[in-house]
Formats: sequence, structure tokens, C-alpha cells
Amino acid sequence: MDHRALNAGFSPLKLKLLAASVAAVFTAGLAGCVGGPTRGADTTGIDWNKVPATKLVLYYPGKSSYEWLRDPAAHKGAASETARGDSCVSCHDDAKEEQRQGAKILRGNHPLEPIALPGKPGHVDMNVQAAYDDKNAYFRYQWKGSNDIEYPYYRYDGKEWKVYGGPRLDKPVQEGKQPAIYETRLSMMVDDGKVPMFKEQGCWLTCHEGERDLNPATNADVAANAAMKAYKKSDVRKYLPASRSNPSDWKTGKSPEEIAKIKAAGGFADLIQWRGHRTNPVGGTDDGYVLEWRNFDDGKNHFASNLDAATKQPKFMFDAGKFGSKAVTADQVRTKDNFLIKGVNAVPFDPNAGWKAGDMLPRYALQPADASGSAADNKGFGTWKDGMWTVVIVRPLNLANADDKALKPGGVVSVGFALHDDNITTRGHYVSYVKTVGIGAKADIMAVKLP
Amino acid sequence: MKLRTRPLIALAALFGLCLSVPAFAQLDAEAAENIFKENDCHKCHHATKAKKGPSLKKIAAKYKEKKLDEKEAIKHMTAGQKVKLDDGKEEDHKIIDTKDVKVQTNVARWMLSH
Repeated sequence: MDHRALNAGFSPLKLKLLAASVAAVFTAGLAGCVGGPTRGADTTGIDWNKVPATKLVLYYPGKSSYEWLRDPAAHKGAASETARGDSCVSCHDDAKEEQRQGAKILRGNHPLEPIALPGKPGHVDMNVQAAYDDKNAYFRYQWKGSNDIEYPYYRYDGKEWKVYGGPRLDKPVQEGKQPAIYETRLSMMVDDGKVPMFKEQGCWLTCHEGERDLNPATNADVAANAAMKAYKKSDVRKYLPASRSNPSDWKTGKSPEEIAKIKAAGGFADLIQWRGHRTNPVGGTDDGYVLEWRNFDDGKNHFASNLDAATKQPKFMFDAGKFGSKAVTADQVRTKDNFLIKGVNAVPFDPNAGWKAGDMLPRYALQPADASGSAADNKGFGTWKDGMWTVVIVRPLNLANADDKALKPGGVVSVGFALHDDNITTRGHYVSYVKTVGIGAKADIMAVKLP
Repeated sequence: MKLRTRPLIALAALFGLCLSVPAFAQLDAEAAENIFKENDCHKCHHATKAKKGPSLKKIAAKYKEKKLDEKEAIKHMTAGQKVKLDDGKEEDHKIIDTKDVKVQTNVARWMLSH
């Protein structure tokens, strides 16, 4: 989808509101205030009080990978049922199933979560509202959680720029050598019925041994693997069973030609991800898909790495005249909106700017003007107030891109929801059992037509 | 003095008997259901409908017909016996994660009350 077509997804009024929102975002960014009233403000103009809400319960799944679920010694009594494609809820059907499972996995010494996470709740209650008009579908989420919108930094140690901070499950964070820093994310994994078993087992199809924080494959093993070389990937991420000749072995990836055929037949899951740090400040939401890897859609995303691979230095730094300083320091983490935004408060990195040990720059630069194509289809607005997140994701209807699952009026799709909060990523998220979402059609979550 | 202590002794003895003989304990349905679900028994046994295993209603009817009591049910949930599934396959029955006879008895009585 080109930029003109993208704009066509919004009514003139909504475009005006969106433009006003982006301008406000930039103003807030320039002011460097924390949690300003405008950043992430919902500009859809929808009266959400008139849209029915559905309660979801997301729970902590730990290391319950595709392989674990099919291991008779681990998923006792249900491995063969899972392997034949039975739905998770055909057994996990208690009214408080998510609460029960999440609490069990996090109570300590559970085989699905070897790391102690004392005090972390086993589940999260979430309200979902859905609506649509002639152009878009709108999903509004509310949940209680912490305002974690930071992402790890590059920190200058006097000689080199090294990563500072990390997700809570990372070893240096667990050992207390690095602070827990990671952005909150809200995800929808969507299928239209073309991914075998998705409507029964949802996201669990994509979660495999070898991925990060799931007995990860070594760099050497990945580098030596022909399929991963062909995919041009250096680690193992989410993949669908159909992408492997042995779905339980990441090493058995099919050829790019076979993958392309599966993709052309719609055998991929769309992955829509709102990110507290890397998309929300510019009113965006990721658009990606899962097949042989967790890919971004064609085009340019809302953010890009801030590391120059050749010089091993950042690409951009803050414009001191606009941000107040050219960098931040550790004591400023969580005290300012430390978003580095091209065209707003970022300037090309100057290696001779008098860098001192302890200076830090964001690992990613946001690029609102560059975001384009299918990767930039979705919008997103998130605000945090009094312990409550409210996030609105806007998805154009009837997308025809080769890497999108179209939401169509009258249609029903299967969706797995996920929340990464508490400065965590990978398996440390909360997930839902698969739900159906109907665009004006009967489903677990029914999007209502806006007047 | 003797007249006063005898009823107390009798009462204490009765109380002790209640504690030591779980079969006489009052059924605590909420606690039983909680243990049942904590042990994931509900994944295979629904109250009324057949899942991988028979419903609790069907189990209760079978026990009644065969004049079996909770001791047999406890044996079933603690011995890890082979069970035959609808598709003809055999599988080890899950063992309940408690050795407390009172708790086991309460769960068994609750199951058989369906």
C-alpha cells in the first residue's frame, strides 16, 4: 500500500485529528515532559462509551512451547490430543482457567518458568472493545499495568557504545548487572482460517524451542544452518509449523521458494503490535507476519536501529537545542520522554561532540516520515493514567497486501492476544487462548458498526 | 466434679473421632473442586459431559451401580493405574498431588456426589 492509499484509509476529519495528534506528540517530545497529555491520545473520535466491552484474561505461559505441548512426559495426558489438533480450550475450559494456570506457572519451581519472578501476577484482566466504519477497524484495550515505555540504550563507556539495560529475563538483568528496561507491547496475532490449527491453538503454534528465551539456538548453529542462511536470519524467532519439514525442529526450514508458496496461499499469521516506545510516540503500530520467522511487512517500519554497523556508533543523537541535551544519563531514565525522533529532535551523530562516559542514546530512532508501505498500515494510540493503559489500534479494512490478513465487514478471524509488560519480552508475556473477532459478525469479540 | 468432667471428656472424644475419621467429615465441595482443578483433573473430567475421561456424573453412577465407595476412587486417583480411552489406547492415570487422606477423601466424596 502506498502512502496515498494509506491516507485513503482515514476520513478527512480523522486525518486532521491524526495530524493534530502527531504535531502534539512532537511538541510533547520537544518539551521533554513525562507522560504528557497528548502523546498517544486517541484521535479516532469514537465514543467508546457506546461500544460494548469484552473481558479477556491473559495469562503467563512460561516455556509452554509447541514442543512442550506435544511432549507426553511434559504435557501429561494431552500431548497426543494437542498433536492431532485439539483446541487448547477443549481441555482448558474452566471459568478461571487462565487465572489458575498463570498462578501455577509463576508460583515458583514450576518446570515452565525456571526463573523466580516473585510478586509477578499470573494473569492480567483486559477489556477489549471493537468497532468499524467504512475504512477501518478500531480495537480499544484497557488494562492495569505499569507505565514502562523505555527501551534499552547505547551507553558510552569512554571507549565504546555498549547496550545498557535489557528485558527482565535476560541473564545480566537477573544477575543485577543491568537494569530491567523494556517497552510495553500489545499484540494481536490474526488468521483467517488458512493456517492449519490456528483457530484451535493460536499463538502456541509459533512458539518453539530454539527461539530466544526458549532454550535458544546458538549463534554457531544458526550460522551453520542452510535454511536460516537462506532466510538471512541470525537467530530463531517465531515460526509456523508449515515452514519446517519437522515442525518441532527449527533447523528443518523449507526453501524460500516453498515458503513463498505457503505465503501466497495465505498460510501465515498477521502480527499487529503496538509498542510503547518504538511506535506509540509517532502514532503507529507495527504490521508484521509470522511464517518462517517473525517478519515485518514490506515497506518501512516506524522505527530503525540507531547503530551504525560499520562504525559501531549511534547514527543519531538528540538535538540539544530541542531536547535539552545531546544525550541522556542513567539517572534520567524514566524521568523524561526519551524518544529519539527523526525530523523532530534527532540530528546525525557527531563522534566529536565531546562524549563522556555515561552518556546514553536510544537504541532505536523513530522515523515517522519514513514509515511507508504495508509495514505502516496500522495506527496506534496509547495513554497511561492512574495505573491504567488505554490503547487504541487502528487497522484499515480490506487490505490486499500479500503480507496482510484482511479484516472484512461480515468476516470472522481468529486472534491470539498478547501483552508484554513489566519490562519483559519473549516468553515473559501474557497470552490469551484463541478468540474469534467478527467485523459486524457474531464472534467472541464483535466489532460494532459506527454510525 | 466427676459429673462435670465426664461430658467434657465425651465431647473431646467425639471431636477427636471426627478429626481422625475423615469419612465422617462434612463434605467441603469448594475445597474439593479447588483441589480437583489445581490438579488439572477437570481437563479430562467434566461435571456432566464426556471429555477425554468420563464425566463425574457418569463416574458417580457407575460407582453407585457397582456399590463402590470413595476408597476405590482414592485408589484410582493415587495409584497411577492404566486407564483405557475411547480410542482404545491406554494411558497412566494422573496421580493427585496430595498424600493427605482427608483431602483425598473430600475430593473423592465430592466427585461421587455428582
